[in-house]
Amino acid sequence: MSRPVSRASIIGALLKKELKAYSRDKVYLILTLVVLLLFPVMFNFLPDSVDENLTLAVSPSISSMIDGAKDTFREMGATEAQLAELDNADFTEGEEGLALVEFDDAEEMQRVIDGKLEAWRTEDGDIVLRDKEADEDKPEDAEKVNLDIGIAFPESFIADVAAEKKGVTVTVYSDANVPEEIQGAMESFVREAAYQLAGKELPVTMADEDSLVLGEDRAGDQISLKDKFRPMVIFMVLLMETFSMASLVSTEVLQRTVTSVLVTPARVSDFLISKTIFGTFMSLGQGLIVLLLVGGLTADNWSLILTTLLLGSVMFTGIALFVGASGKDFMGQLFYSMLFTIPLLIPSFSVLFPGTAAVWVKVLPTYPIIDTLVGAMSYGATWSDSIGSLAYATAWLVVLFFAGLFQLKRKVQTL
Amino acid sequence: MTPRLTFKILRKDIALGPRSPIFLWALILPFALTLILQVAFGSLFNPEPRLGIVDDGDSQITAQIEGMEGIDLVLLDDVEALKTQVEANDLDAGLVLPSGFDAAVKNGDRPDLQFYIGGESYASNRIILSVTTLDLVRDLEGSDAPVTVEVVNFGTVGLPMSVRLVPVIVFYALVMAGIFAPGSNLVEEKEHGTLMALLVSPAKIGDVLAAKWALGTILASIMAVATLVLNNALGSNWLEVLVVVLVAASLSSMVGLLMGTFAKDSTIMFGMIKGLGIFLFAPTLFYIFPEWPQWIAKLFPLYWILEPIWVVSVMGGSITEVWFELAVAIGITIALIPAVGFVARKVQTQMAAG
Repeated sequence: MSRPVSRASIIGALLKKELKAYSRDKVYLILTLVVLLLFPVMFNFLPDSVDENLTLAVSPSISSMIDGAKDTFREMGATEAQLAELDNADFTEGEEGLALVEFDDAEEMQRVIDGKLEAWRTEDGDIVLRDKEADEDKPEDAEKVNLDIGIAFPESFIADVAAEKKGVTVTVYSDANVPEEIQGAMESFVREAAYQLAGKELPVTMADEDSLVLGEDRAGDQISLKDKFRPMVIFMVLLMETFSMASLVSTEVLQRTVTSVLVTPARVSDFLISKTIFGTFMSLGQGLIVLLLVGGLTADNWSLILTTLLLGSVMFTGIALFVGASGKDFMGQLFYSMLFTIPLLIPSFSVLFPGTAAVWVKVLPTYPIIDTLVGAMSYGATWSDSIGSLAYATAWLVVLFFAGLFQLKRKVQTL
Repeated sequence: MTPRLTFKILRKDIALGPRSPIFLWALILPFALTLILQVAFGSLFNPEPRLGIVDDGDSQITAQIEGMEGIDLVLLDDVEALKTQVEANDLDAGLVLPSGFDAAVKNGDRPDLQFYIGGESYASNRIILSVTTLDLVRDLEGSDAPVTVEVVNFGTVGLPMSVRLVPVIVFYALVMAGIFAPGSNLVEEKEHGTLMALLVSPAKIGDVLAAKWALGTILASIMAVATLVLNNALGSNWLEVLVVVLVAASLSSMVGLLMGTFAKDSTIMFGMIKGLGIFLFAPTLFYIFPEWPQWIAKLFPLYWILEPIWVVSVMGGSITEVWFELAVAIGITIALIPAVGFVARKVQTQMAAG
């Protein structure tokens, strides 16, 4: 006579068995460890700032051009006070996105753009040139400045244009790889500067800058690649677990060990519950480990992120059950895993693109998961902002999870 | 080894192959990768400033921007839709040109310029789009610019990312069709016991391995050529292309055969592919980043097959330019034959021992 065993202890025993089987599956165990280590390590190498400026070389320096123009301005009737104001003027003000590097010698600037000299910026902000061909030492405590476009103004540019002299020519030096739109913009920039110096006002009326910018102005505060990848890395870890969980289910089905399990007091429902708990726990656990390693949890978003991770884990467990029960062999299971996971990966890449995702991407089950993670981690989205996405994710979760359960149950019953 | 038996086994593999998921993957992957890398993600590698225009009066500005390279222009009918897209960062900037705008500028009426910038657009895109627009407005006004601008270019234009990605896609075609397909085919034969059945027939292990190698070579050649065609990278010297592709497929298939002979089951085969993946993939990175020291790529075996394809097919060069690389590739292929034979004999002994 055997004493009755509770459902909880049966499920507990099955969970122990799952853990043992998981630790024996060397390929996936190693892959899991690699993912857990590699993703956070690679994440730390991503740039955490955005260089959104165009770096432009100019020659001669702005101050020397101004000095050269002072006599002309005096002749045109400018007062000494007005000339003094010129010295303090910032000519790049209003040209947000343009970082100027000034050269006294146009030929040196030309050689830098041609790649024959390197420009390095010291900690003091000075530019030091290095002759690559002469194998000169790299300057210490300095960072290399990539200069691939520059403008060579004539020494008397300001004076000549202000005096409306004919035949003033400015040369834009550019590396051939600089995109055409940037070269074109630099030509336009020079012409517009000349119009302004010549006192020719714009033939249109411009609104003030604040009313031109739509949405939160993130100039100088753009979301870095690191911030964009943070939700993506966590999402990928959840997704990767689909492979190992599907492999576990597949092995059990193919080797028919499930039939041995079912001759014990365990029922099919116990088997399905233990698979669900184990898959969700593994996926969620790995997601949390990576989340802790890459950061992103704040006092404001932790509950939203953890809820989203839980939804994602259950969803991917459902997919793993479906895939694991579908393949006829290891390769078949791998094929189904890829077939399901590649389309489900697409929404995570949409975060790399600016703007709204395409409608067909939004329809995919994983879109609301990544959308909520991105919103909470990068844009400070709250529960109320994300409730629609969470509801949509839950609807997909129900469909996928029950499809997985149904497929596995059917498979187990036919063994 | 009997050619007749080898051919029979090959014919069987070709007939039954399409039932295997790996064959399907080998067929699908180059198409899927071309679609993903060149079409869907193409704009990631070459982002262009995005400008939306609502033009109610057939403005000359719209026509000029349409003719410009490097600006992604979207024409819209509705101002509100334009503002929504700019705010959502679907566009970097938006321009509204009402009816009569051109005439008003020409008449000196100084009309309002409705130019909107997206808060999330990069400062560099803002400056490109705004100065370009202002320049076109000045041009519309008809006044002579107070300055002449000359552009002097240095160097030569580098290859676009779409071309530099071709070796990546060809690599996957070769790996899936040349390495994974024959390797997993052999492993499946071991798992299902059909290899043992074959070996009790007059066929010898050499016949089986030769058939698998031929299968991988044929499949990898077809998929590599298909990939090159899909990516517009099949040179006009197609006979020479065929030679370099055949050499590449032969080496890939030999690597697949070695893995398939060595791996006891599909899990190990998959693990080997995963584990060796980065080692095999590494040379493709040097085509994406040509500024990296190129000699490092030569340390990886698949460099010797990718470089001839790159030179002859993608760059349209002559086969004589890559004779050394081809010789090394053929040398590696031949050198792998005894290794495959050694492992195969060991496997055969193990199978015989039961």
